[in-house]
Amino acid sequence: MSASQSAVRSRAEAVAVSRTFDWMILFVLFTAVLGGYHIHFMLTGGDWDFWSDWKDRRLWVTVVPIVAITFPAAVQACLWWRYRLPIGATLCILALLLGEWINRYMNFWGWTYFPINICFPSQLIPSAIILDVVLMLSGSMTLTAVAGGLGWGLIFYPSNWPVIAPLHQPVEYNGMMFTLADLSGYHYVRTGTPEYIRMVEKGTLRTFGKDVAPVSAFFSGFVSVIIYFLWHFFGKWFSGTGFIADDAS
Amino acid sequence: MKTIKDKVASLSFVALLMALTAAMFYTPTASAHGEKSQAAFMRMRTIHWYDLNWSKDEVAVNETVTISGKFHVFGGWPESVDEPDVSFLNIGIPGPVFIRAGSWIGGQLVPRSVALSLGETYDFKVLLKARRPGDWHVHTMMNVQGGGPIIGPGKWVTITGSMSQFVNPIVTLTGKTLDLETYNISNIYFWHAIWYAVGVAWMWYWAKGPIFIPRQLAVASGKASTLISSGDKKVGIVFLVGTIVANAYLMGATNDEYPVTTPLQAGTMRGIIPLEMPVPSVNVVVDDATYRVPGRAMQMSLTVTNNGDSSVRLGEFMTASVRFLEPNVLEDETGYPDDLLAEEGLTVSDNSPLAPGETRSISVTASDAAWEVYRLADLIYDPDSRFAGLLFFFDEAGNRQMVMVDSALIPSFI
Ligand SMILES: [Cu+2]
Repeated sequence: MSASQSAVRSRAEAVAVSRTFDWMILFVLFTAVLGGYHIHFMLTGGDWDFWSDWKDRRLWVTVVPIVAITFPAAVQACLWWRYRLPIGATLCILALLLGEWINRYMNFWGWTYFPINICFPSQLIPSAIILDVVLMLSGSMTLTAVAGGLGWGLIFYPSNWPVIAPLHQPVEYNGMMFTLADLSGYHYVRTGTPEYIRMVEKGTLRTFGKDVAPVSAFFSGFVSVIIYFLWHFFGKWFSGTGFIADDAS
Repeated sequence: MKTIKDKVASLSFVALLMALTAAMFYTPTASAHGEKSQAAFMRMRTIHWYDLNWSKDEVAVNETVTISGKFHVFGGWPESVDEPDVSFLNIGIPGPVFIRAGSWIGGQLVPRSVALSLGETYDFKVLLKARRPGDWHVHTMMNVQGGGPIIGPGKWVTITGSMSQFVNPIVTLTGKTLDLETYNISNIYFWHAIWYAVGVAWMWYWAKGPIFIPRQLAVASGKASTLISSGDKKVGIVFLVGTIVANAYLMGATNDEYPVTTPLQAGTMRGIIPLEMPVPSVNVVVDDATYRVPGRAMQMSLTVTNNGDSSVRLGEFMTASVRFLEPNVLEDETGYPDDLLAEEGLTVSDNSPLAPGETRSISVTASDAAWEVYRLADLIYDPDSRFAGLLFFFDEAGNRQMVMVDSALIPSFI
């Protein structure tokens, strides 16, 4: 078969090839995003996402959505503007969570023996669904950044609460009060993570008393909006095809 | 077609391998044997651990071991290490092979970081409960913010039995009894599985039809608006509203199920009470100190004055957790780790009892392979070539006095 001949000879074959490409691209995209996003997220979200005794009402709620909205914004830009596919955020989060679960189960538990109840990942799928559906309904980057980004940050704490609330029950232990998450962190020794590097419940939001989580979530949503714009542009730039001579679009 | 499928399969396999490799990029393991690689001055001039005791060297799963003793916070703390204002009493073990059931400084439980004062001595205790069978090197350890981990001596402890037997029962303040080893794990799996399925359903809705090539062609030919149908929008709204409503409902239901929750507890603890140490009645002046590289020996010239009312003899020199004993005065009965114990490592030019009121110049040699094994000799290559350690004198009744020494060290290469 010479290069000038078509690879397919019938419509049925063309459809089959197109479908094969779908799965190929989807799989490669999924695994490539998994690798890149996972490393990005470990380096930026790091301990806040690793340990249950870092999942507090202030910094975890603030930091995780902000550093997590990056790849979803970029992949959305590619999949939406090129294919009108509103699955960029969900694809990223499914990839990230798969990578995280492999890491937590095989390394944190299987290799180092931390129980899963101290080292499970944060839940981000509801956030991703909001981001994708807002993009699909609005078809607008600005609206997705503003409404989607805010929703992304706001739903983060509620969507994690069913999993972390049980670990926030108080315990009296040797004359001090702990939450179960604190106690896990104390019991299951992390030689390389001394207590003082644990950044929780710090900040200047104390005037809000015990209703600090919603305030943190709003703040996180606002910053997510800005980060969304930034990474959406990265995504657009990254998915450009100007290097192909006859496609300048 | 078949070759394309094979290629997809092999490419997929490569991609999967790459993804797995990326996922394994990070593991929070901690080596328990960092002690030797730590700069010698860090071990000699920061925290001096002594009177250590490991209550057992073999335990079954669920049994406990206590590591207790004292540590002296060196008054001449090196400038290159932050002062121990925020310090955490840790334990050097390879991951949670034991759980830390309790840790105390001066009788105070210290799950958080504490402020330590230079020149003071504290007593401490760490209670460990055995979890994972194996032979583990258990080190005392103090983490200092801005200074890193300061590792104390390590001793091998064997855990027997099976990890599946391990339990960690806890009673909450609301009266619930639970096993912290397994508590909440099925709840975590359940909600992560549910939401993962929702995410996959959304992906599947879009991936089930032809996607990349036809859609790209449609977008390129200006027909992008036809790609999202009103049916798609309805499905999207169901996902959006469903997600928001479900989360609002679950938040309320969770609050009903767990009405009492508290924020994570954190914050530095101050006011840790040091031991009241008597002022030593033995006065020591270091006239000079040299380290002889070929002989692996440190030689100190000391002028010792006994201001007490009982005659004393020098029994031990300790630095960086290595104990050099003068065998005629002191024998170790605490089961101190062999590799850190130089039972006959201390030679004193004249160690006859030093009578009250008497002053004597003595030459003291501390020699042992430990200088090399524990890389203490590297001290001479440190930017601040000084050593520090503890001298222990014993009077006729066997009472002990601790005297801190701190001096420049001159290396000798011949
Ligand atoms: Cu060791």
